[in-house]
Amino acid sequence: MLFVEAVFVKRCIDSLMPQNYNPSLSGNPQSATSQQYPNGNPEAAYNRPGSKNTDSCVPLHLTEEVVHNYNCDEPAPGNIAFRWLYGSNIAALNRDPRIQVVQYNEDTFILRQNVCVHWEAPFTYLLFGNQGALLIDTGATAEANYYPLRTTVDALVTRWSQMRLKKKVPLTVAFTSAEDIAQNQGQAQFAGRPGTMVAPSRFADIKQFYKLDASWPSGAARIELGGRTIEVIPTPGAHKDGLTFYDPYNDFLHTGDLIFPGKINISNDKDYTVSLQRLKQWKDTHPVKWIMGGHIEMQFVPGKAYPRFATYKPYERLLQMEPNLLDDALLSAKKVVGKEMALVRPDFILLNRVSPDQKTPVFPAGVPNINAPRPF
Amino acid sequence: MNRRTFIAAPLITGMLPAVQAQSRRAAGPIDFISNVPAPGAFPAKWICGSPSCMDNQDPPVQVHWYNEHTAFLRQNKAYSYEAPFLHLYFGNERILMLDQGFTQLHTDWELRGVVDDCIEKWCARNDRRSEEMPLLLAFSHLHADHFAAINQFADRPNTRYMGLTHEEMVGFWGMTKYPEERVTLDLGGRNILIWGSPGHVISEFAYYDTYTQILYTGDMFYRGRCYISFWNQWFDSMKRLIAFVDTHPVTHVIGCHVEISRTGEDYPYGITYQPDEAPVQLTVAELRKAYEVAKTITKPGIYFTGSVFLCNQTRGTTTIDKNPYAYS
Repeated sequence: MLFVEAVFVKRCIDSLMPQNYNPSLSGNPQSATSQQYPNGNPEAAYNRPGSKNTDSCVPLHLTEEVVHNYNCDEPAPGNIAFRWLYGSNIAALNRDPRIQVVQYNEDTFILRQNVCVHWEAPFTYLLFGNQGALLIDTGATAEANYYPLRTTVDALVTRWSQMRLKKKVPLTVAFTSAEDIAQNQGQAQFAGRPGTMVAPSRFADIKQFYKLDASWPSGAARIELGGRTIEVIPTPGAHKDGLTFYDPYNDFLHTGDLIFPGKINISNDKDYTVSLQRLKQWKDTHPVKWIMGGHIEMQFVPGKAYPRFATYKPYERLLQMEPNLLDDALLSAKKVVGKEMALVRPDFILLNRVSPDQKTPVFPAGVPNINAPRPF
Repeated sequence: MNRRTFIAAPLITGMLPAVQAQSRRAAGPIDFISNVPAPGAFPAKWICGSPSCMDNQDPPVQVHWYNEHTAFLRQNKAYSYEAPFLHLYFGNERILMLDQGFTQLHTDWELRGVVDDCIEKWCARNDRRSEEMPLLLAFSHLHADHFAAINQFADRPNTRYMGLTHEEMVGFWGMTKYPEERVTLDLGGRNILIWGSPGHVISEFAYYDTYTQILYTGDMFYRGRCYISFWNQWFDSMKRLIAFVDTHPVTHVIGCHVEISRTGEDYPYGITYQPDEAPVQLTVAELRKAYEVAKTITKPGIYFTGSVFLCNQTRGTTTIDKNPYAYS
């Protein structure tokens, strides 16, 4: 076997010796990382601008706070190099971590709630700046025994502050929607946490908190993390108190329930369209790398979603959405305004004025209609 | 003897030689005839899931003895959201099990061991040898949440089970005129009446136990969303059920699932925690009420009868609940 392989490899080298690298035939097929260039892109420059935005070059013995430069010309380098945990056929037998922590880059963490703790399996984002941290959303479960969000965040903050020699890291807990019980349940765990500000829950208080009383929903607010200023954009439609957070460091839009790869329940179609219009304009005037929603419900085949309450989703779509999906979303949203209908798109499904399980026989034209294998 | 008669012959009353099993019996026969209906009790509350599935500490199969000779089993909702109910009826000569749950592998959900344990306990109580008690595995209908674990019994001695086709199911009961024909299965002094009950699916059966006088209606009629795929067939089955309860005493009507709270609130399809679940058993009055409502139904849609949702040809298109965050 080894011999045959060696001969094969040698033949390939002989025939392809003028460098003719085919990335799709390279790399470890078990690895999901950087699928496009599993071994790195030989055409790209060695020294890329993003390098200066990392703190990899920290001194061995810290003597003072590390002040990080969050001003970068391009999206900060970062990678979701792992597959999301996807539950198990028998939810009661699941032994995965209750919270999956993925470090996107040194100042950005993505946390996902275990599907077998709560089927919504929401994503929670922890962003660090020089003077503070922001936790976007808090998950679907209040009980710390089931979903230890507070202890996980505390551990991340502790480690991060040790690396940067920060004495204090004030934490702001904010919500893409404070009314969303799939995202607001974990906040109880932060009650009484020192140096922590939790955004309010009542709609009127939220507007006041962000000083958007007069300008909701057309205004914008800011959360200053120290060198990293998060823009807060009112985006009602999926929730009346919906907010989108724009992070100019990673160039992410954290959209929560407004747009995510799943079945999007539109709560007010007029607001929804206006909010998408606003995000589209935002995307056209600001660099956006990815849209990061609050959940994944779509499968890894176009136009197909996992059923509600599913606790085993082995063929999930990726979390991140390309910004140009906003164009599709806006067009689609306009089609459902005023109608009771479900509209299937390759990367999301819009549900307007129908039940959360509404199905439709209409499948988008030109999209391959594939049924993913079912679990037992 | 062709295959059908081979399977059916030992099962059907009248064809069964009365002395056949006499010699096997260690103890005297249990009387399943006088003093019916046999009294029985349901649990105050069934195990009904947990807020976090992976933290569920309940048994994978809940076993409840309705009375000394009748056991109801339920699959834990953290093992399958369908949480079906399975019935075990014990007779002097054989045991009938209705339905086998929604999980195939015994490594995921050990049903066989639980059933064997029930049989051992019953045999010990009644001075019988379990290896001499044939087990019949039947099911209400051909949906995977009702037979998935059947292969766990494939190597069980003295066990016979239904095939997974309409022909084999009908043939298993020796029927030649499905669905009207009503046959009698003799478990040894305990008769089970069986007839066709299509509508949810084409191949479904109703089972009536003469000892407890419980009428088992599968997924054709249960406290939840009765997904009616074929209205005319379902309505005819309903008429048969009403005709049956007109002429036979029925203590409880029991289906395979519970999907409604005690206040009549719908638990949406797929949910894994039903903290305020309604009881599984229905009354004859609730069956009659549903029939009255059904008589007025002329269009596809979802109709609540006060105890069940009649989902007329709406399966896979919609559910009952709405987006709770909608605003204007």
